[in-house]
Amino acid sequence: MKVLLVEDDAALAEALAAALAEAGLLIESTTTGQEADFLVRTERYDAVILDLGLPDGDGTRWLSQWREDAIDLPVLVLTARERWSDKAAGFSAGADDYVVKPFETAEVLFRLRALVRRSHGHAHPVIRIGKLTLDTHSGSVSLAGRPITLTAQESRLLSYLMHASPRIVSRAELVEHVYNRDHEPDSNVIDVQISRLRRKFGRARIETLRGQGYRLVDLEAEA
Amino acid sequence: MKNQNSKGQDSKAQSSKGQNSKGQDSKGSVLKRWRPRWISRWGERLRLAPLGARLLVASLLLVIVLLPLAGVGLSYTFRQSATASFDTRLESLLNALLAGIQVDSIGQRLQLNRSLGDARFDRVYSGWYWQVSNGSDLTLTSRSLWDQRLPIPEHQSGLAVYEVEGPRDDDLRMIERGLRLPGHQDVIHVALAGSTAELNHEVERFERLLIVSLATFGVLLLAGLALQMRWGLAPLRRMSANLRAVEEGDIERLDTQLPVELKELALAMNGVLERDRRLIERGRAAAGNLAHALKTPVSVLKTLSERFPEAQRQPINTELARIDDAVRHHLARASAAGGVAFSGRVSIGDAIAPVVQGLARLAERRGIRFDADIDPNAAARIDPQDIQELTGNLLENALRWADSRVSFSVSRVSQGVRLRIEDDGPGMTRAQGESALARGVRLDARGSGSGLGLAIVEDLMMLYGGTLRLERAALGGLAADVWLPASPVSARIGDTASQPPPAD
Repeated sequence: MKVLLVEDDAALAEALAAALAEAGLLIESTTTGQEADFLVRTERYDAVILDLGLPDGDGTRWLSQWREDAIDLPVLVLTARERWSDKAAGFSAGADDYVVKPFETAEVLFRLRALVRRSHGHAHPVIRIGKLTLDTHSGSVSLAGRPITLTAQESRLLSYLMHASPRIVSRAELVEHVYNRDHEPDSNVIDVQISRLRRKFGRARIETLRGQGYRLVDLEAEA
Repeated sequence: MKNQNSKGQDSKAQSSKGQNSKGQDSKGSVLKRWRPRWISRWGERLRLAPLGARLLVASLLLVIVLLPLAGVGLSYTFRQSATASFDTRLESLLNALLAGIQVDSIGQRLQLNRSLGDARFDRVYSGWYWQVSNGSDLTLTSRSLWDQRLPIPEHQSGLAVYEVEGPRDDDLRMIERGLRLPGHQDVIHVALAGSTAELNHEVERFERLLIVSLATFGVLLLAGLALQMRWGLAPLRRMSANLRAVEEGDIERLDTQLPVELKELALAMNGVLERDRRLIERGRAAAGNLAHALKTPVSVLKTLSERFPEAQRQPINTELARIDDAVRHHLARASAAGGVAFSGRVSIGDAIAPVVQGLARLAERRGIRFDADIDPNAAARIDPQDIQELTGNLLENALRWADSRVSFSVSRVSQGVRLRIEDDGPGMTRAQGESALARGVRLDARGSGSGLGLAIVEDLMMLYGGTLRLERAALGGLAADVWLPASPVSARIGDTASQPPPAD
């Protein structure tokens, strides 16, 4: 899951980014609305964490601009203002959820995962594709009830495919959502990681469609 | 009780000691005690009497003193002038009598050669008499005197007027003249008397008329004064009604279209009201700024602490939670301050429109059906921010827990407004409901924050004297039912701090 963090307080941005990265999220950080606007329009993120008190204007201004331009990615607003008059402005601007400072990383993580899951159309917190399950709250993966250990990168890759399933995910989309823009991988790296995942879950579960991309297959439903 | 008794004894002991050592002092206090209690009680009552009553009492006193004085004066003057005109009549009758007196040239006897022409002098004891005498042996009397005589005081020359007693013990007014006639050696006393009964009767009739007219005048005067007071004090009454309206929140400022004396007062009061509002605003802003300034560093500390081992993290988190709770609590208090005292009647629908719009948008993004049914006429005396807080927290909870539906209604009920929020989520058990209302207790470990939201709602209910009920919704989940009074009974700001300490 790739998330853009827009927070002008350097200490908070650093601490939060570190905590979220530890939980397996791919975090990109910026401190201004201007830069956030540019990134949102050029990169692909699964969600944005937006602080409202930015040096170059109120966060809601940028947010409503994105919504007007049909940029529909989930936005979690981060603010010190907890009065409802302020919150209402945030929701009106198009925020999907609200976290009031001071918060716990766990809460931000929980809200983010719920937002991303919902944006892919999954109402339930546990996504099941056949015997393969992903608990979006904890980020843990299991096959037929047996927990599977994955590296952070593998976990992000599988999580994205599961969220997207049964849609076909192109290599470019995977690169955008699963890898940091500063460390874009060779096509090789993706192939290697896909084949590792296949070794852990069975070859047939990840289908390669030539020229289109990858797709998770519900083996149990087809059987 | 026991305490009071011993105190009483103490003071007695002290006063007796005082008597022994300082006689002067105790005498003074005895004198003071001797002043009748009813005087001071009435004095107190008059001091605090309403202005209208004070003016009325003052004019009543004036009328009671002045009108009898005027009556006495008028009556005295009338009696004087009536007596003078009576005397004039007596004198002219006497002159007529004198003109008829002749001395008989032969016998040196007095004769009356013509009658006075008044029948009253011929009717016996009629009260009108005349008498001509020479001091020793009497010469002539009117027939009305019969065998009686008028008492003539010792020699008086010239004209004199006396009050004398007549033959029938009636009061007479007598005019008498002593004169010498040619050819007659003795001084002749010619006296003419008339009964004062007629005069007294006339004066009494005048006095009766005077009393009736003065009483009527007094009543009319008092009525007029009362009307004048009503009219004169009307601006004051208008101002106090105005002030009540400010208190009720119907208007923001006092009307200054008033007589000049009151206008200045109203302007000054408006100034005070304005300053109060500004102070509250400034307090709110300061509390808000401080809170917001604190929140980001607390967030940083909280995030950083998560990297520490549990044993170290626990105390840090406890302290951070205390800071956070204090900040939130005082921010909420600062926001609520003046909320009741200065909030006017607001349309609930207008006040919560931004919140409802924002949350409707959120519901749409989350794919939850959100039905809002808001009575546009529902209104209550509540700070717009507070009603936003209330609605926002309850609706956000509902949206968070709902599976697919949230319904929201605002309606007018007797003496208030009812808000009902329902969802089709998992609902709450009774125990959960109770703990949800406790400050900061969260419903589950996922950190939904709903506990604090409901605690804020509960605080607002206390402030405005409303009620919050949590129950099972028709939709299947939780229903929050809020009743708000249209007008809160009293401002309960600063609650415990301003309460008097319990008596011991």
